[in-house]
Amino acid sequence: MNVSIVPALKALVPAALVVGVAFAGVLLGYWGNDTFSPDTSPVQPIEFSHKIHATDNEIPCQYCHTQARRSASAGVPSVEKCVGCHNEVAADKPQIRKLLNYWNNKEPIPWVKVHDLPDFVHFTHKRHVAAGIECQTCHGPVETMDRVRVKRTTDEHPMEAPLKMGVCLDCHKNFEVEHGTDCWTCHK
Amino acid sequence: MPNIERRDFLKLVGAGGVGVGAGYVLRESIKHPKENLIPHIVAPEEYSSGIATWYNSVCSMCSSGCGISVRTREGRAKKIEGNPLHPVSQGKLCAIGQSGLQVLYNPDRLTGPLVQNGVRGSDSFAQISWEEGLSSVANRLELLNAAGRGDRVAFLSEGMSGHLAQLLELFMEQMGSDRLLHYDFDHPHSLYAAHQQFFGEKLLPYYDLKNARYLLSFGADFLGSWISPVHHSIGFGHSREGLSGARGRFVQIEPRMSVTGAAADEWIAAKPGTEGILALGIAHHLVASGYYQGDDRNEWAVALADYSENVVAGKTGIPVETITRLADTFASSEPSLAIGGGSAGNHSNGVETLVAVNALNYLVGNLGKPGGLVFNPAAAGQASQPHQASLRDMLALAEDARQGQIEVLVINGVNPVFTMPNGTEFGEALAQIPLIVSLSSFMDETAALADVILPSHTYLESWGDSFPEPGVGIPTGSISQPVVAPLYNTKATGDTVLELSQRLSFNEAIPWHDMEGCLKEGWRKIFSQRGGRAQAGGFDLFWRELCKAGAWGEEARFEGTYALDKAVIAGIGVQDPEFSGSADDYPFILHPYLSMALHDGSAANLPWMQELPDPMTSVVYGSWVEINPSTAKKLGLVEGDLVDIESIEGSIRAPVYVYPAIMPDVVAMPIGQGHTKFGRYAENRGVNPIEILSSRVEEHSGGFASSATRIKITPTGDRVEIVKTGGNSRELGREIVQTTGESAGTSAKLNSIPITTVQT
Amino acid sequence: MSILDRFAESWRKYRKPGYYDEFDYHWTMSIDLDRCTGCGACETACQAENNLPIVGEKAFSQGREVKWLRIERYWEGEYPDAKLRFMPMLCQHCDSAPCETVCPVTATYHNQDGLNTQVYNRCIGTRSCAVYCPYEVRYFNYIDHKWDSPLDQQLNPDVTVREKGVMEKCTFCIQRIRQAKDEAKDDGRRRVRDGEVQPACVQTCATGAMVFGDRKDPKSKVSKSINGPRAYRVLDELNTDSSVIYLKKVEA
Repeated sequence: MNVSIVPALKALVPAALVVGVAFAGVLLGYWGNDTFSPDTSPVQPIEFSHKIHATDNEIPCQYCHTQARRSASAGVPSVEKCVGCHNEVAADKPQIRKLLNYWNNKEPIPWVKVHDLPDFVHFTHKRHVAAGIECQTCHGPVETMDRVRVKRTTDEHPMEAPLKMGVCLDCHKNFEVEHGTDCWTCHK
Repeated sequence: MPNIERRDFLKLVGAGGVGVGAGYVLRESIKHPKENLIPHIVAPEEYSSGIATWYNSVCSMCSSGCGISVRTREGRAKKIEGNPLHPVSQGKLCAIGQSGLQVLYNPDRLTGPLVQNGVRGSDSFAQISWEEGLSSVANRLELLNAAGRGDRVAFLSEGMSGHLAQLLELFMEQMGSDRLLHYDFDHPHSLYAAHQQFFGEKLLPYYDLKNARYLLSFGADFLGSWISPVHHSIGFGHSREGLSGARGRFVQIEPRMSVTGAAADEWIAAKPGTEGILALGIAHHLVASGYYQGDDRNEWAVALADYSENVVAGKTGIPVETITRLADTFASSEPSLAIGGGSAGNHSNGVETLVAVNALNYLVGNLGKPGGLVFNPAAAGQASQPHQASLRDMLALAEDARQGQIEVLVINGVNPVFTMPNGTEFGEALAQIPLIVSLSSFMDETAALADVILPSHTYLESWGDSFPEPGVGIPTGSISQPVVAPLYNTKATGDTVLELSQRLSFNEAIPWHDMEGCLKEGWRKIFSQRGGRAQAGGFDLFWRELCKAGAWGEEARFEGTYALDKAVIAGIGVQDPEFSGSADDYPFILHPYLSMALHDGSAANLPWMQELPDPMTSVVYGSWVEINPSTAKKLGLVEGDLVDIESIEGSIRAPVYVYPAIMPDVVAMPIGQGHTKFGRYAENRGVNPIEILSSRVEEHSGGFASSATRIKITPTGDRVEIVKTGGNSRELGREIVQTTGESAGTSAKLNSIPITTVQT
Repeated sequence: MSILDRFAESWRKYRKPGYYDEFDYHWTMSIDLDRCTGCGACETACQAENNLPIVGEKAFSQGREVKWLRIERYWEGEYPDAKLRFMPMLCQHCDSAPCETVCPVTATYHNQDGLNTQVYNRCIGTRSCAVYCPYEVRYFNYIDHKWDSPLDQQLNPDVTVREKGVMEKCTFCIQRIRQAKDEAKDDGRRRVRDGEVQPACVQTCATGAMVFGDRKDPKSKVSKSINGPRAYRVLDELNTDSSVIYLKKVEA
């Protein structure tokens, strides 16, 4: 006797619809998270604006990030460094008052890390700065940012974005870095 | 538009909504967790982030005084290395020295002062402030001092050299008490006594292993735990490399093969306590065969008349041919050196044995020469040498305590409740002391009996200095400086004593505010005594350079001639060893030894040391008893069988390890485990063989004759698995470790390594 | 090159990942068994430098201890002629490493310094490399290891802390080699000099049994060691071309 499967399939249509809509919802939710609440530019405890400091006041990067040419980590300026100027400069503005609160309470400012590489990556600023690479190449046009964000593909500069290993390898290959493609150069 | 029921539509919307939520949460869950960048409040001067800062200091894990360089990153200590500029360590360091970091960062450290609220020995400690702790102790001391009863105060400290030792002396002097005892379990009392008796010298000599061509070691585990193992290892390495002409050889004489015995060219088993008799047998041969041609050879012949090779062979169990061969080689090699210590010095005849060893050096004429026994000049900073408490002194202290003659006992850096045998009842004796103050950094067995604990900084957080004893042939000293900021609310011992001095108004004699100031003043004296005033930069520059280099030394050598008193020769002789327990009831002799990883138990709370496999047996995390294979077979024991080891003092239980290189009627056990209180890594692990040792005092030195206990073995029928790292301990023909004869050209396998070289 | 040569070349490169005609440095260690006393300072130094975990007693009884450098001991003979010999065993950094051929994801390969690399973030934990290694010097992280605070303050920031599921083994202290090369570059593009870089174990070995250096430099201490008459390789018959050369123990 020949039995057709079409009725069975027809019976499954409602269930399939539900599953399909749910799946579409998952994709939508994923995309929505990526677009509307990305972690590329976290909120900082004080609204420090690189634009005001680096562009308007022309403070060079290494004035605050002093260790960049000497050490693996570029360093974040101490609270004392900020207060050095801001004891007097704009001391009445609300953000500066937040800063002075931290200083008076002897508390460090808990900045949120934007360029966070995994722990098994050992990146060294010293070698890259010594090679003459501009900070903006990897960090994007920080001097124009009111709030630090990761580099976008729409930013100018030869290097792609965001900071993924493929991006590092591109430079290491193109510029024929010594032992640049050896895993142990960065993943020791 | 198809016709949809409202219910279905709502179902779809719901499904879609759930999907969107799920998708959102999914993306959220794979985001990296937020990390913070915490800046400094004020940028420190001592370091920059990402760049290591090195500090030179001195290791305090044993009494050798090796100089260390500590690598710190962002104010945290990361790695300890030997200080290349330091004459003792010369850039090298032992395993226990490396694990000093775990003393600093140990999770069981005491974080602040404590007071015992309940019955003494109960665990009811409560936290107090430093003010409370110091004032309660100072008040008691003040009362005693005012009433003229300052001599009721006793201070029991670990051994130390340098200005902290002087500070303690000053303090006790001001208190009017002479009860300052420096106590180390492993202090070689018999070696010092032998040296005093034979040479009339208070300080140990420098044994120039580096240049010795033939070395006879009577029980001295010089690569493992004897005096200064790092320095000796360096010398041993040089000697093996043949830097002084030919590869040095050495013979180890002991009843159980130690780490040093494994490295020896020849290991000779001598009956326990007869090593000195063997030494005199060799001396007899040197004199009788005419090798020794000194003016006093007749006196020597008379003194050694009872030690002919046949007699000695009978007593030691070593064949006459071996004795003769050793003596011949010893006499004809140049330079040759004899050293002794370890278990050989810890018998009832310990001092006599080591005097006999000294005699060998005298007879072969290596005194003051390279490759021989070099006398040490006086240390630079010491006004006097701290009195090291022997077992006799400790027993006297315990007896005084029982008689109620001690009202305050301050304990610093030692754990006598663990390292004194049960037979001394030391812990119980302490019960009679009204106030016990502990300066320990950890809650160990002795600190648990304290009334007030004023925890000290660890050595990596403290200022101090060290004049290594034994010296290395020249006066040398080093500064120990803090490498990190103190972790907890603790106070360095020196600073505690200075604070107490201030509260007791000892300001005239003890004017310093902190240890750093005390050190600087002491070193200022050394600086000016050595004619340093004339140097540009003065003392401040000298101090900075000293802290930077970590070591200071000068070229001065021992000044003085040496002549042996004939009365000393007449007094030479080694009695037969005596043991506790009758040979019938207790057929075996217990040979306790300092374990490589745990030393005298003070490193048992360091996980790295618990995980360091014992060099000879590869056992970790436990205790064991080593038994000769034929003995084990006779008793029907295999590895892992639990046995009771019983002496006249008590009984302990440990698993068996069948050990191929120990005499049949000797059993050996490592010291170090068996803590009942010492932190999570040390507690309730293994057994402590010191407990059942008989508290025999060696007559001449007052030291502990720890190798003189007889025991019996009773199988219990139970088994445990001994945790080892090694698999099969035999090569079974695999030729993994290949050997070669002295003429290295005759190797079995050809060298098959192609060497690629750069084309220049 | 002819077509055949080019084909042979690319076949060789394919078969041996990271194949190099000429190494940049050829790091080699020589261990003198006549001077090794088995003290274990090297084991502890390695543990301190490379963030080796504290595994606990149970792991030891399961054979799951992690010790990049271990001292093996072999008894020979019976009392009273028993002898004990020590053999420090670490990753031999074989030029023809069996472990490199089997890794399905190339988490281990030979780099241009002659080192056998282990890339933790690439490893998927098949553990075949540990099976293939004849020296049994590869260790697997069966659990996420913990350090009771504040012991974790001692961890070396230059070395990755491994998590569960990856293999690890001796790296010849690559972080120190990297730092030495870094400093050499700062100094003006020169080569690393003999003695400038020493792994933790070599630095602390009191007897001087361990020597480390560049085999390509004929004047280096290690070159002199390995050209001596006592030099040999362990399990040489397996043709692993190891970079750790042992010097025979002298038993006269």
